[in-house]
Amino acid sequence: MTARVRFEDVAVGDRVPARSKTVRREEVKAYADASGDRNPLHQDDAFARSVGFPGVIAHGMFSMAHVTTTLTEWLGDPAALRRIRVQFRAVVFMGETLTASGEIVALDEAERRATLSVWAEVEREGLRVRVIKNSEAEVQLA
Amino acid sequence: MPLDPTLKGREYGEVSLEVEVAHVVRFAEAIGDANLIYRDAEAGRAAGHPGQLAPPTFATVLQIMTSARVIADQDLGLNYALVVHGEQEYEWSRPIRVGDRLSAVPRIADIRARGPNEYLVLEADVRDDAGQRVVLARTTLLSRGTAVP
Repeated sequence: MTARVRFEDVAVGDRVPARSKTVRREEVKAYADASGDRNPLHQDDAFARSVGFPGVIAHGMFSMAHVTTTLTEWLGDPAALRRIRVQFRAVVFMGETLTASGEIVALDEAERRATLSVWAEVEREGLRVRVIKNSEAEVQLA
Repeated sequence: MPLDPTLKGREYGEVSLEVEVAHVVRFAEAIGDANLIYRDAEAGRAAGHPGQLAPPTFATVLQIMTSARVIADQDLGLNYALVVHGEQEYEWSRPIRVGDRLSAVPRIADIRARGPNEYLVLEADVRDDAGQRVVLARTTLLSRGTAVP
């Protein structure tokens, strides 16, 4: 299978449809078990407070997975995602709404590939906080 | 205390993982990805793949296993309480599939200081049992405030 997004149909500046979800404690717990990262910072409020947070925070990789799902839903084929590099810049608390998206910043006609700037953000006290930024992905288009 | 920079290039014991159906389904559910390609082999084949795929960031399972090997190295002098996951990169050669037997040798790719912090870059070259690369994982850990002033 190949991506459903055709190289001819995209341009620099095009955006990936944004995808949002509310971060729930049960999901973060399930992620801890499935990924093997059982750091108490992501599961135990008392521990999180002891290191200066108001409560547990989501794994950075949990937010990264939301970015990759946003990309693969747009692409239509997980195999079309070839590379991703993300920077974790802020934490995510339980109950926050995480929104991921991306924008095409370069196109390679010979390889039919696109490079995207990608990000994830939450809204906190009326401000948009980018929890993943300065990040990029490379995708193989049809 | 600063990290020991002479450990750049050090390799650790291989970690391995057999990619199992139940694990992949649990992972896909935890990340909230409803794609059927991660739920059964039929959906994978219908989409032109040899079988059931794992979500791309299933590579994180291996990455966490390999990072743990490095973090546990007493010679490195890493204080885990000061460590923040700064950056993560994956470069896939092909999707991870159910039934894959994956293995990776953890390696310290770089240790460098910038300002008050140190950056520890770990690499895991994840290969299948035919020796073919599946994904390269590059993890940057920040050790806060441990650089020599």
